[in-house]
Amino acid sequence: MRVAVAEDGALFRQGLVLLLEAAGHEVVACEAGGDPLVAQLSTIPADVALLDIRMPPEPDGGLVTAERLRDAHPDMGLLFLSHYAESHYLMRILEIGTDRIGYRLKEKVGSVDVLSDTLTRIADGEIVIEPELAKRLVERPRSEKRDLVASLSERERDVLKLMAEGRSNNGIASTLFVSAKAVEKHVANIFDKLGLHADTSAHHRRVQAVLTYLRSQRGDA
Amino acid sequence: MTPGRDDARRSAERWRDRQTLERRLHDGPAQRLSALALRLGVLRAGAPGRNGDDAWRRGLDVFQSELESALQELREVAGALYPPLLDEAGLGPALRELVTATGAVARVDVADVRCGTAAEGAAYFAVAACLAAADDPTPGRPEIGIRVRVENDDLVLTLTGVDPDQRRPVLDEAAPLGGCAELTGPAEITARFPCA
Repeated sequence: MRVAVAEDGALFRQGLVLLLEAAGHEVVACEAGGDPLVAQLSTIPADVALLDIRMPPEPDGGLVTAERLRDAHPDMGLLFLSHYAESHYLMRILEIGTDRIGYRLKEKVGSVDVLSDTLTRIADGEIVIEPELAKRLVERPRSEKRDLVASLSERERDVLKLMAEGRSNNGIASTLFVSAKAVEKHVANIFDKLGLHADTSAHHRRVQAVLTYLRSQRGDA
Repeated sequence: MTPGRDDARRSAERWRDRQTLERRLHDGPAQRLSALALRLGVLRAGAPGRNGDDAWRRGLDVFQSELESALQELREVAGALYPPLLDEAGLGPALRELVTATGAVARVDVADVRCGTAAEGAAYFAVAACLAAADDPTPGRPEIGIRVRVENDDLVLTLTGVDPDQRRPVLDEAAPLGGCAELTGPAEITARFPCA
């Protein structure tokens, strides 16, 4: 895969390039800030851009850079890497896009397998969210959602957590060692119990369902 | 006993020092350890017996997991000094994050204005103390209201649905900056934090 990197910490940037290369990816651009990366990528094609959130242009240059990259290259995947996993940034990221996008903690992509899996899922069009953040949001619902989540079975909560990480039905099925059919049934039950109803395509509905749910938890909706 | 202007200035300075320490943790040890996690991933990719369950691989797994624990502990220390989101995005996003993270039953209504490192830091930790004190799973416990406005260069924090005993920890945060905290209702505390 062709990847581009913008990160202001020199040590982390170097480590990232080494790991990407060890995983067999081609690093086509590597910059210490968002603006030079946008300039580089105006002529060099890339499949996924890896962005630090807290980098120049300050204070959260990764987000501004992502908006500009998404405008200029709608098919380019975006992976945010940060020292913190916070729902505030998750919301900002999902406002930039709900496909080909990811948000992970810096130290959690420290293996060839995890890094490549994350990049592949993003390039395939999925959302990838740091599991710990997804778990925190699902397990600690705001008061008005507490009863709704309490009405879910344990298995349905497991499925919702994996949905919130951006996993597909097949991905959820293989993680939980159940059939895709069983997952479909759980997902339908979750939508039903949370009062989230069908409108458009399955993928869109799923993303909207998770988003609506996450937003309503924070009282942002 | 109102602190003088010099005391308030020194207190404000201490908040800026705390924020600087958080930045140093982020830019220094946290970055070094995160970079090490990546270097470790490179080693692991070339380690012997990649598919076998041997001592090398187990050793690298322990190393990775200890690095992650150290980073998590650093994050907790940094958050106790000065939450980075408070600096980057302001009191509203930081308090919403706190409510999400603690699972507190609370409603956050914060004006979208910046009030400086000291006032925002003191107000944040005053709210954190109240939420920690109200952290019990009693069913039917009233929702806590957290409201922040700016009036006459003061950050005004109004907490509703809280125990009147919480006036003390709120005052402990407000007073050093030359602010105050009063009971303004049976379960309502209003505190002022000078912005300058």
